[in-house]
Amino acid sequence: MKKLFLPALGAALMFAPAAHADMDAAKALIEKHSKLPTFEAPGPAFDAKACMADKKMFVIPLTNANPFNAAISQGFVDAAAMVGFELRDWETQMDPAGWIQGINTAVAEGFDLIDMQGGLPPEFLVPQITEARSNGVKVTATHNYDATTQQIPEFLDSAANTDYVTVGKIIAAWAMVQTDGKVNALVLGPDEITPTAPLRDAILNYLKDNCPDCKTQYINVPVNDWATKTQPAVQNALLADPTINYVLPVYDSMSQFIVPAIQIANSDAKIVSYNGTPFVLDMMRDGDIVEMNVGESLGWVGMAGTDANMRLLCGLDPVTVLNTPAFIFTDENVATAGNPATFNDGYGDVHKAGFAKLWGLE
Amino acid sequence: MSEGQSDDSIAAYEERIEALEAKLRALEENVAASAEQAGHGFDWKMWGERYGLLIAWGVMILILGSVKPDQMFAWNSYATMLGSNAMVVVLTLALMIPLTSGDFDLSVASVMGLSSMLLAVLNVKMGMPIGGAVVIVLLVGAVVGLINAFFILYFGVHSLIVTLGTGYFINGLILWVSDSATIAGVSMGLVNAVILTRLFGIPIGFYYALALTLIIWYVFQHTSLGRRLLFVGRGREVARLSGVNVDRVRAGALMASGTIAAFAGVLYTGMRGAADPSSALAFLLPAFAAAFLGSTAIYPGKFNALGAFVAVFFLSTGIMGLNFLGVDSFVQNLFYGGGLVIAVSISQLIRGRRPMD
Repeated sequence: MKKLFLPALGAALMFAPAAHADMDAAKALIEKHSKLPTFEAPGPAFDAKACMADKKMFVIPLTNANPFNAAISQGFVDAAAMVGFELRDWETQMDPAGWIQGINTAVAEGFDLIDMQGGLPPEFLVPQITEARSNGVKVTATHNYDATTQQIPEFLDSAANTDYVTVGKIIAAWAMVQTDGKVNALVLGPDEITPTAPLRDAILNYLKDNCPDCKTQYINVPVNDWATKTQPAVQNALLADPTINYVLPVYDSMSQFIVPAIQIANSDAKIVSYNGTPFVLDMMRDGDIVEMNVGESLGWVGMAGTDANMRLLCGLDPVTVLNTPAFIFTDENVATAGNPATFNDGYGDVHKAGFAKLWGLE
Repeated sequence: MSEGQSDDSIAAYEERIEALEAKLRALEENVAASAEQAGHGFDWKMWGERYGLLIAWGVMILILGSVKPDQMFAWNSYATMLGSNAMVVVLTLALMIPLTSGDFDLSVASVMGLSSMLLAVLNVKMGMPIGGAVVIVLLVGAVVGLINAFFILYFGVHSLIVTLGTGYFINGLILWVSDSATIAGVSMGLVNAVILTRLFGIPIGFYYALALTLIIWYVFQHTSLGRRLLFVGRGREVARLSGVNVDRVRAGALMASGTIAAFAGVLYTGMRGAADPSSALAFLLPAFAAAFLGSTAIYPGKFNALGAFVAVFFLSTGIMGLNFLGVDSFVQNLFYGGGLVIAVSISQLIRGRRPMD
């Protein structure tokens, strides 16, 4: 019996299907996010003009010297103009002193809500936030925390969060499909930034869970060291392992330091990343190294943040997830982002009509 | 009449310079002779001091190579590393010139950023041919040096204060001209001329840095201009009393610094085909580190181009090895900072702990 069993087991193992990457699910995810965004209402419609008539909102960006934050702020400004309430966009240059001054100004001038948008870490300002809230001011954050893996801290009234996990999955799925399940990826990110962890973990875990023949390695490069450390880290990783076929920085602004590393190391690796930053889309249009970018309309982010804040001020059911869809740019559609590209083109403007209807302005 | 007087004064001036140089040569010969006597023909201490950093570089390669031989003993690794550090070498050289004449130029990284961004704006946004744009940004660098010199020399403000201020001012200008955005799409002609063209596998930008290093080495070591720079740096009053036009030398050093820093910006843009408003500032401290570390090698005790050149690649080789070993990012900072302090301290021990200039 034993004599018969062992060869049979061997044959069974030989013909057993090898572990396969879950390619169908990956393709479906990519297809879903390649379609032009559609508007899905984040909550029930309400009369925004009436409930905001006597209220005003104060927005503090991480820094105004960054087009990403400036574009989100513009979305807030546009939304306030549509509804017709007072909104102040505070000028800062990534300095805690400027953020604190902003909070103090908002409290002193009787604003009803302070929103820290686009990565400003509220954890740095807990004493000021606590003081503002004790004066009756609501304090929120837009586009900072992950919608599924991170909690809104208790010292905030609410937050409008981004689904970074889905973005990470799209990036990983893309590399998996392009290589037919043979990804060898170098993932990079600055660990000190709040959204890095969900993005990083989503990329690494997606490939680990869905792609048995995929390899990954991760390098932490703090933002302050991007200029000096990204290029050597990438080119040395490419020299150490020339089979690396994808470099996946969690934020696409790192691409400017990765492109020369790939060129100098004579590598064929491609860059896939997140943020839809205009100069990276320009690099995609003009070259072959940047292959895909997941973006989101930042004007839409600003309007969705305004929607969540208005619901909080008006005592409606809270909205904690931004309804801004992630959208895939490749060589095929990058022309729609403009030349030079912008933060808002290419996504369509279905959100403007969508929010106008939702807020009772039509 | 005044022409005759001026001829006389120039002749007297040249005479005083010659006398001073003769004294210096005599002094150097005396020092060399006494060193030779003390060392019975060969001064190991002086030799060790001059070439210590080179030896440390070799030892480091051997140690790292014993762990990662495939990467550390591959020519491609060094070709890549040499090509990607061209702008750091150039920025360090820019910094070194006013340091030699006794002035700090904290605005060099800002000038590098301004030239990098201005080049992108002129070429991408305004459609100017890349050659003309390069000439303009180099001139802008020289103008920044002239402005620094004006405030330092006319008002007598310390160079640290002036260049700190102009650096901040320039950072504001960069944000203004770029609208705070990164600009991509710079002419491929420049990218080809910096990294895509290779000689012996090394991107050609490296050879620009090497050529500039050799030019500055020659000027410092073999011309009276280099001597004057050193006199001014070692003692302004003595140099003035010896007939050196101290203000002119200092102004020239600051203008050279601005122009060379602008050239570093050209290389930085050529490296990436893009320019951003802030990242160049991150190279200020590495450039200072390389300038000071370089002052302990080849011509110990003075800022020198060959030493700076070696220092940049010593530090980059260490970072490259640490990357190959896969160590965490923070270890690179420990190596960079620790390596600088330890190397300079060892050099000081060899020099008998004489105060550094």
